[in-house]
Amino acid sequence: MKEVDNIIRILGETRKAIETENYSKIKNLSNQTINVASLTQDPDNINVAVVVYSLDKVFEREHYRNYSDWKKISKTILSSLEYSIEDLEKNDLNEFRKDFENIRLCIKKISGKLKEYIQEVFRKAKINKASRIYEHGISMEQTAKLLGITMFELADYAGKTGISDVPESKTLDAKSRIKLAEEIFR
Amino acid sequence: MTQKVLIFDSGSLISLSINGLLEELKKLKKIFNGEFIITKEVKKEVVDNPIKIKMYELEALKIQNLIDEGCLNMPDKIGITDKEITNLMFKLMNFANTMFIGNRNEIQLIQQGETSCLALSKILNEKKIKNVLVVDERTTRMLVEKPENLKELLEKKMHTNVKLKESNFKEFNGFKIIRSTELIYIAYKKGLINLRGKEVLDALLYALKFKGCAISSEEIEEIKNIK
Repeated sequence: MKEVDNIIRILGETRKAIETENYSKIKNLSNQTINVASLTQDPDNINVAVVVYSLDKVFEREHYRNYSDWKKISKTILSSLEYSIEDLEKNDLNEFRKDFENIRLCIKKISGKLKEYIQEVFRKAKINKASRIYEHGISMEQTAKLLGITMFELADYAGKTGISDVPESKTLDAKSRIKLAEEIFR
Repeated sequence: MTQKVLIFDSGSLISLSINGLLEELKKLKKIFNGEFIITKEVKKEVVDNPIKIKMYELEALKIQNLIDEGCLNMPDKIGITDKEITNLMFKLMNFANTMFIGNRNEIQLIQQGETSCLALSKILNEKKIKNVLVVDERTTRMLVEKPENLKELLEKKMHTNVKLKESNFKEFNGFKIIRSTELIYIAYKKGLINLRGKEVLDALLYALKFKGCAISSEEIEEIKNIK
């Protein structure tokens, strides 16, 4: 994992934001992870970006709290975050990965609709983070591979963002490119 | 002997497929005096992998159908072996993925599907076979056409200085790229679209943009104004 100190800070602030119900802060924390994730493409950094973003989405939805399993899952998430910080401080990456895996295992064990909702949140978080990495200049296929999603999912999502509207994206004027197409069809 | 070839990357087939424009692709093939080719790496991305996922199974089947019908062909149709492509693909991938260095990391930019298309195009160029790549995703296009823009983008987004290994530039010269938008523009101009009305071109181009084709709104407006 790269920039461990920064990740420890982000996880600590995420835990605090959950405890104080300051959920809007979590999204910003998740965005802070994406620069390093794009540059290094380290799977642990990418995992942190996905999980922190998912936690924002899971905790901001108040109706989830009405489900019977909610207390169990929120308690597991908070304790896993706490352990993950401790393990990173000890530089124990294996234990850190297990802490994050615990969150997923706990979600798998819960029942009914809440499980479906939260799993969908995590799936969408992967697509969202993939779109952000693609936005950073990494190719669509490379990004889809990093996040374990299909290119169909990424293309569909990224197309609705303004990624292609940045000036650097224009590499040839429209007339010249149309001319290329016309010439090959002549 | 094949005189000309269009090489399709995954993204362009995905944009056309999820917009329901594969019939138009078939019509384009009929008027194209040459071959539409995909590599085995691209087939993996648009057929072999998505066919296992319920959400995209139908799209994968539709593209498989294009292969079965001979609208899309594999490189052996034009006498190029997978081995030739794979060998060059790994070389090009290495050049591309060591070309930009940020914070002492070689930035891994592109993958096998995208690079296999570049490799095939390079092989065809050497054989003097006219070819154009159809690539909807942005990074490969920027790498080939304006690597300095890609450097700027990486620096801006990653908030770090990026060094560019300029000696690798020459490996990415000589490629010609269009997108699904230019392809559909041709279909529109040749009367292959079964819709009528002055907004049809606008609707087609924006639909492709919103399903992943890397084209700006400004470029779409420029295309619409071409006489």
